[in-house]
Amino acid sequence: MRRLFLLTLPGLVVGFIAGVLAGGLTAFAGQPAGAAVVAALALGVPLALMGGGYTMLLINKRVRLGGFAPAALFWLIGFPLARLLHELAVSWYVAGTPALPPDTLGFLAFQGIVSLGFAIGFLWLHERMAPRWWARLAQHDDVAREVYLRYAGHAQAMFEAKERRRSRSARGLKPRTGTR
Amino acid sequence: MVDSHNPSAADVSAASSVEAGEERVWRAGGLEPMPIRPLPEAPPSIHLLGPTVFLLALGVGMGESYMWPRLVLVFGPEIRWLFLIGVTLQAVVMLEMARYAMATGESIFTGAARVFKPIMWFFFVTAILVYMWPGHLSAGMSAFEQLTGIPWVISAITVLVLVGILFSLASVIYDVVENILGFLIGILVVGTAIIASIAGSWADLGSTLAGMFAFGYFPDGMMSEQWFPIVVGSIAFAGPSGMQQMWYTLHLRESGAGMGAHVPKIRGLRTAGEQEKIPAHGFMFDTSNPEEMAKWRGWRKWITFDAFLLFWGITMLVTISFTVLAQSAARENPNVKDLIENGDRSAALQAMSDAFASAGGTWLGALFFGFISLIGINATLGLFDSFSRGQADMTYFHFPGAKKAKMSHLYAGFLWGVITFGILILLFGPADGPEGILDVLAFLSTFAMGAYCVVLLLVNNRMLPKPIRPKWWSNAIIGFGACFYLGMLFYCMIRFGVVDLG
Repeated sequence: MRRLFLLTLPGLVVGFIAGVLAGGLTAFAGQPAGAAVVAALALGVPLALMGGGYTMLLINKRVRLGGFAPAALFWLIGFPLARLLHELAVSWYVAGTPALPPDTLGFLAFQGIVSLGFAIGFLWLHERMAPRWWARLAQHDDVAREVYLRYAGHAQAMFEAKERRRSRSARGLKPRTGTR
Repeated sequence: MVDSHNPSAADVSAASSVEAGEERVWRAGGLEPMPIRPLPEAPPSIHLLGPTVFLLALGVGMGESYMWPRLVLVFGPEIRWLFLIGVTLQAVVMLEMARYAMATGESIFTGAARVFKPIMWFFFVTAILVYMWPGHLSAGMSAFEQLTGIPWVISAITVLVLVGILFSLASVIYDVVENILGFLIGILVVGTAIIASIAGSWADLGSTLAGMFAFGYFPDGMMSEQWFPIVVGSIAFAGPSGMQQMWYTLHLRESGAGMGAHVPKIRGLRTAGEQEKIPAHGFMFDTSNPEEMAKWRGWRKWITFDAFLLFWGITMLVTISFTVLAQSAARENPNVKDLIENGDRSAALQAMSDAFASAGGTWLGALFFGFISLIGINATLGLFDSFSRGQADMTYFHFPGAKKAKMSHLYAGFLWGVITFGILILLFGPADGPEGILDVLAFLSTFAMGAYCVVLLLVNNRMLPKPIRPKWWSNAIIGFGACFYLGMLFYCMIRFGVVDLG
C-alpha cells in the first residue's frame, strides 16, 4: 500500500493541492473550521484519488506519456464526478441532507467543458513533478525505474523519429551524390 | 577571421564565404562578428515546458483578470474577437523575438544595438522609467490584504525583500525562477478552472466562447472618447505588454534554446565567484549546412508549440475563466456591473469577491482574492528578474568598461537597486510614479511595443542570414502590429488627448 502511495504520489499531490487550496484559503476568510475542512476535503480527496488514478494508468501504460488528449479524456469524466461529490458533500454539511445541483445534466455538461482547462493545469504540474519524483524512487523501486526509463526512452524515441523524418525529407529534397 | 557579411554577400548564408584555416564568422551591423558554432539539437517539445512561463507570469495579469471581463460586461461577449486578435498578434511577436535569440544567443537589445545603438539606449532608459515603480504589486497585495487583513504595504515590502534574497541565494537564477513560476502558473490554471466550475454557468461559457468569433462586431459606444482608448489599450495589452516580449529573448538564451546553449547562465550573488566569463558577442550556425538547417527547423517547431499551445492556450484559458466569473458576479449582484463599468478596480474586485461569497460561500470569495494575489506575485517575480536581466545585459555588452564586472554582480546591482527604490517609494511616494509623469510612462509603455515591432523587422531581416529570415506573411503581421500600436497611440493622443491606454 505504501509503495502504491509513493508511486502514484505525483497525481495524488496535484489533485489534492488543487482541491484543498479552496479549504486552505477558507481559514484566512474566517470561515468556521468545520466548513473549511468539508470544503477542502470534499473536493481535494476526490481530485487526489482521481489524480492518483491517472498516474496509475500512466504507470500501467494505459495512457500515453505527457499526451494532452488522454489527460483531457480522463478529466472529462473525472472532474464532473469530483465536482458532483463536492456539491453533495457541501449541501449535506450545510442543509443536513445531500442534494443534487439543479439541472444536474446541465451542471455535468458545464463541468465537462471546464475540465479541459483543469486538464491543462493538471498535466502541466504532473509533467513537472512526476519524472523527477520517479527518478528519486528509481534507486529503490523497479516500477519507478521502469516508468522513469520509459520517460527517457520516450524522449529518445521522439528524437529518433524526428531524425528519421529529417533524413527522409533531406533525401527527398536533395538526392545523395556520394558516400559519407 | 573571415567576414561573411558584405554588401553582395548579405543575402548569402553565414558560412558561405568560409576559407580554410580561418575562423568563420557572421558579421551583422557594427558590433563584433559572431563566430560560427554548431547548433544544438532541439528537444522534444513534450517534456520541456520552456521559458514561456515567464511570458505567462508577466502577461497573465490585470488585462486578463480585469480589463477584458470589464469590456465584456459593458459591450457584451461579442467584443472578445478583439482579444483573439490581440493575443494572436502577441504569439507571432513571440515567435519572431525567438527567431533572433535562438539563431544568435543574443538578446533583442543587442540585435537593436547592431542596427543602431541609440535604439538600444532608448529601451534601456524606457525600462528604468516605466518599471522602477512598484505599482504592479499594489493590486495583488491589496487583494491579499482583503484576504488576511495584513496592510498591503507591509506584504508588498516583504515580497520585495524575499524576492531579492531568493534571487541572490539561488545558484542559477533562471532555474529557480522557472521552477517557482512553473508551479505557481500550474496552480493558477487549475485554480481558475475550479473557481469557474463553481461560480460559472453553461450560458456564460457558451456566450464567452462564441464571442471570440464575432468578427467585425463594433458596438456604437466603443468608438466614444471614453471607451475607444480603453478598448485599444486592452487589445495592445492582451498578453504581454510594454517590454515584456523583449525580455523573453533573455530567458530563451538563459534556458539554452538554440545558440543560447553557447552562452553561460547568470548565477546568483552567493555563487557569483563561479560565474563563467560571458562572451562579448553571440554565435551563428552554418546556415549553408542542410543538417544544421534541419536542426533549426526543429527549434522553430519547439518554439511554435510553446507560443501557440502554452502561451496562447493558457492566456485564453485564464481570460475565459475570469470573463465567466465576471458575468456570474454581475448576475449575482447588479452593483458589480456598475462598479466594474465605472473603472474602480479595487471596488470592483471586492464586489466580485462578495458576489462569489454570496453564491458559493465565504471561501469562494476568498479563493478569488487568493488568485488575484497569486497573479500579483507571479508578475513581481517575473518582472524583477526580467528587468534586472535586461538592464544587466545592456550594461554588460554596451556600457564602456562594464565587462570588467561579472554579469552576476550587474544583475544583483539592478535587482537590489529596483528593490530599494521600490521600498522607499512604497513608504514615502506614489507607487505608480509621480502624477505629473504618469502620462509619459503610459505613453512610453505603448510606444515601446510599436518600437519593438519595428526593431524586429529590422533585426530579423537585416541581421540574420537569408535562409533563416522571416517569411513575408510574418513580416506583414509584425508590420501590422507596428502600425496598430503606434497608429492607435497617436490617434488617441491627437483625437482624444489620451495617452494612457491602460
